[in-house]
Order: sequence, then C-alpha cells, then structure tokens
Amino acid sequence: MAYSFKLVITILILAPIIFFNNALAHHAFAAEFDKEKPVRFTGTVTEMKWANPHAWIYVDVENSNGEIVNWALETRAANNLIRLGWRPADLPVGTVLEIHGWQARNDSPTASLSAATFPDGQKLFAATPDQPTQAE
Amino acid sequence: MLPYLLILLALITGSTSGQTLPQTADGKPDLQGIWQSVNRASYDLEDHVARYDMLAGVSVIDGGGEIPYQLWAVEQQLRNFENRSSEDPLRNCFLPGVPRIMAMESPFQIFQTTNHIAITFEWQQVFRLIYTNGSPPLYAGIESWMGNSRGHWEGDVLVVEVIDQNDKTWLDAAGNFHSEEILVTERYQLLDTDTIEYEATIDDPKVFTKPWTIKLELKRQTHMDGILEYQCQAEKEEASGDFERDENTWYPAPIPVDNDPFDADVSESLPLPTTLAGIPRLSDGTPNISGYFTADAGGANYGLEKHDGDTLLPPSRGQVVDPVDGMLPYQAWARAERVNRELPHRGYDDPTAHCFVAGVPRSHYVPAPFFILQPPGYIVVLHERMSWRRIALDDHSRLPEPIRLWQGHSVGRWEENTLVVESQNFNGKSWLNETGDVVSHMQTVVETFTPVSESQIIYRATVSDPIPYTRPWTIEMPFNRENQELLEVACLEDNGDLQHLKDVRDEHRARQIDEK
Repeated sequence: MAYSFKLVITILILAPIIFFNNALAHHAFAAEFDKEKPVRFTGTVTEMKWANPHAWIYVDVENSNGEIVNWALETRAANNLIRLGWRPADLPVGTVLEIHGWQARNDSPTASLSAATFPDGQKLFAATPDQPTQAE
Repeated sequence: MLPYLLILLALITGSTSGQTLPQTADGKPDLQGIWQSVNRASYDLEDHVARYDMLAGVSVIDGGGEIPYQLWAVEQQLRNFENRSSEDPLRNCFLPGVPRIMAMESPFQIFQTTNHIAITFEWQQVFRLIYTNGSPPLYAGIESWMGNSRGHWEGDVLVVEVIDQNDKTWLDAAGNFHSEEILVTERYQLLDTDTIEYEATIDDPKVFTKPWTIKLELKRQTHMDGILEYQCQAEKEEASGDFERDENTWYPAPIPVDNDPFDADVSESLPLPTTLAGIPRLSDGTPNISGYFTADAGGANYGLEKHDGDTLLPPSRGQVVDPVDGMLPYQAWARAERVNRELPHRGYDDPTAHCFVAGVPRSHYVPAPFFILQPPGYIVVLHERMSWRRIALDDHSRLPEPIRLWQGHSVGRWEENTLVVESQNFNGKSWLNETGDVVSHMQTVVETFTPVSESQIIYRATVSDPIPYTRPWTIEMPFNRENQELLEVACLEDNGDLQHLKDVRDEHRARQIDEK
C-alpha cells in the first residue's frame, strides 16, 4: 500500500541528511525504517501513548485524495521524555504538529519521528526550545 | 518476676517466640533471603474450587469472606473470570503488579540495605526497588505496572506503600481486578527465621466499597542458593517459532570444526585505573559504588567497533581497548555473520527487539540507567530496561553445566578498589548490540568495576568465547553517577516495533522463495 501526500512530495527533493540525528535510542532502527522514505506532513494529534522503549504519537493526516489517515509516529522512550520534564498534559489531543520522519519499510502509515514542531515554532520534546526533537 | 524477665528477654532478642530473629547491622529485622508464598492465592484470593489449571484453595482475605466489590465491578470480575484464559495479563507474560507478584508460585529474593530494599523475581526478571530512606518519589504521578514503592519501619514491621500502579494488572488468575486508583499498603513481619507474615491492604474507591486486606505467609527457601530466570515471553516465542534458534551460538552448539585455534593467552593485561583517595566507603572499607548510574557508552549498543553514523544508524566511538586496533578478533564465519546481521531482514533476530533480556555485558550499555546495591554478601544491579543481576561475593559455587541463563551466573570479589566479576553459564541467545556483534553460550565474561572518583566507575568487560573469536577481547567505558531514580520499562507490554521488523523479515523470505 502506498500513501501519497501533498506535502510528502516536497520532501523528496530534500536530502535526508537534514533530518539526521545521531543519538537515536531505537532498537533495530535502520531495520525497521527506510532512509529512502523520508516523510513530512502536518498532522493533528489524536493520541499519545507514553510507552517504553518508545513512545508513540498518533496524528490524523489528510492525504491527496482528501482521506484522513492516522499515522503512528515513533519517538524516544517515555522515561527519557519524563526525565527531560515532559508530561502527558504537554501534548493534548488536537495539537497540530509539523512532522519530519522516515516511513516504515513495510509501507504502513508508521514513521520514526525525526522532528516535530508546534505552530509557534517550538520543537516538541526538546530539552530546550532550540534543541532538536530527538537529541539525547 | 519471671514473666517480666521473659518479656524483657523477648524484647532484647526481638522475638516473642523465644527464637532469635535475624537482624541487620543497623538493628532492623533482616528480611534478606529467598522467599516464596505457600498457598493458592495466585489462582484466586477468595475461597475457590478447583478448575482446569487452577488448584482449589481457601480465602487469604483477612477475616475470610469475599472481596467487597461495588455492584458494577462484580459483573466485570465475572467477565474477567470467563475470559481468563486469554485476558489474564500473565497469559501475555505482562508484569503482574503488586500484590499479585508476591503471591505467585515462584521464588523471589530480597536484598536489604539501610536505604533500599530490592526484591528480584524470576518472572520476566522484574524487580521492585523499595526506597526506605524517607525520600519522596521523584516522579510521583507517573503510572507503571509495578508502581512506586516507598517503605518505612514501624517497630519490627516493614511497611511499604505502593502508589502509581496502572489499571492493567489483575490481582490473581481469577480475574479479580482494580483501577488506577489502587493504593496498596504492605506489611512484612518476621514471625520466625523462616517465615514472613505478609499483609497487603488494597484501597481503591473506584472498584471496592471499602479497603480490604490479604494475609499470607512467605516461607524461606533454604534449599536454594539463588533464584533463576523465567523469561516468559522468550519461552513463549521459542515455543511458537516466533523466535528462532541460532544453531551457531545457542547452547549446546559445538566449536565449528574449521575454526582457527583460540589463543586465550594473548590478551593484554591492562593496568587498572587509579582510584582517587577519599572515595566513599562502606563500614567494612570496600568502596561504596551504590546508586544510580548511566553508561557513557558512546554508541556501544550500535556496534563495539568504531563506525560513523548513517542516516538511521547512530555512530559508535569504538569501545574495544584490546586488541589495540579496536577490532573484534572474529573467526571468519562469525565476521560474515556479523555483516549479515546488519541487513534489514535480520533486525527481527535481535533479542532486544523482542524485549528479551540484553545479557552481559550488553545490559550495562543499552540506553537505560541502572541502580547498584551493596547488601551484605552481594552486589545487585537493577537495570531499568528490565532485568537484574545478582553477583554473590566471595562465593565459588557454580551452576550445573546444563543450566543456561540470559544473564549468566556471576560471582564477584573485591581486589583492592576494583570489583571483579566472573560470569558463565550463558545461553548464547544474546546479541552484543543492534548491529549484531556475536557471542555464544561458551562466553565467559570477566568484568572490572573500578571507582575512580565519587561520581565515576571505569567499567571493563573481557569476553572469552572460542566459537566466534580467535582470542579474548576487552571493552571499556565510564559509568557516571547521577542523582536520579529508576523508572519502569514495560518493554514487552508496549512493544510497537516488532511487527514491523517481522514484516521486513517475512517479505525477505517470501522474495527468496519466489526467486527459487
């Protein structure tokens, strides 16, 4: 199954390296996600699962056919986020996020989150506002 | 006059039965040891008849009788009971919660220090870390499967309050349940040397009409030196074929006939790091290495040899200090296997992707902290990415050869300021990192923990394994002390990645069949 997105097209001209972050704590990360499939879109949060070893953010995204697809975005460990000071109340349902990531190799609407940005430009899950989302 | 003398004697010895109860150096009842519940409470806390897979038993509820459910909850419990063969969280190998874990039919080991009590369990190698130092929880309000335990002594009774448990665990195998509002107050009292009277009061105004208490006896397991492992999920997946045997590494794989000889004598004898004067010490003079640590692992979990990062693969600074070229001294077949394990379809084969225990030395450099305790006679390491290690000091016992464990069998000793730990009896199922550095059941590991300052330990691990390697090798990294508390990693319970990895593997296999 292939998903095409208005915004995804735009990222195909962007080198994946701009999303590169070298401090991911994922298990078998390169085996699960595909660096040839970077994704970028704007989504609305439907749920956040505070889990270990990886927390998951679920966002509704409108695809090019006008259909709403719920994407699962893998992010760092909940314990890591908690120690940085983030709490479940910081990401309520309905929050709009701009998402950068890499799609899963099995082509499901699943991606590893590289960066997520609030409309005001603040980075989600950054230790400080000017740090990247995934930095350790 | 005589009765008064007897009472006085009883007070002095800490017992009313005339038997001297074990005490710690700081005068508290000594609960350290291996214990197990001896009753049928794990099946059903209430009076119950026998069923398939369920032995009959009498109620352990204090005062007898039934659990004081609210009306709606009675119906929920009946539904749970009907569906217990699929809905019981333990059928999925999930964490049991408190008090269920204390009543299960497998032994657990208690380790006791002045400030902390650790309880280690065979089930999924879960542990409880009970703070008895009076500190408030650092992360109050963060729910977990096993909750957050804080303890204090009321006379000779250890009282433990368990907060922040989630609503996903059951109280027994019969579907008795609770909500996330559950508060558990446990009481541990030594009745005699080999018996703890255990009480747990359960207060949950969302589910019950009033608080209620279970009471049961824990018996010391004097026939055991240490508890073993029950990796429920690993056993389940091996039985179903979802996790496949590696013929090259799993016990009892032999040394391949075309292997080059193993030269055990070539490894460098590296000088130990220097310990600063004035590091904290225990009362017996040994260095105090207790507390919360994180490894400055430099990407060891992504490869022990130095490599640059790729888009999706974090770099490694290289941790190998012997051989001096920083390369692992692989046998040719094992180097080929290591390269093959980097392919995407092999990601599924990494045991940690299944949330299995990481093994030794990997448990120390997965990206998760650990907590070291120094109770009398032991070093205990509690790994946040859920597992524990029990290192018996000055103990030369060996496990029988066929008993094979994910974490191996470890014994330790202090050599001046360095803790030296020797481990064997591994099962050969572990990978050394995500890129698949190879290790087999024949590995022996000698680790040194040298505290160089109050805040840092230099850690080395020398691995000798004649199946994948031509000679022993050594890695090194610092462990840094932090003022933090462990949280819980319920990895299996929340593992959202495994199916994706399985899809990649299955697609690869289907393509191979098509090509044939």
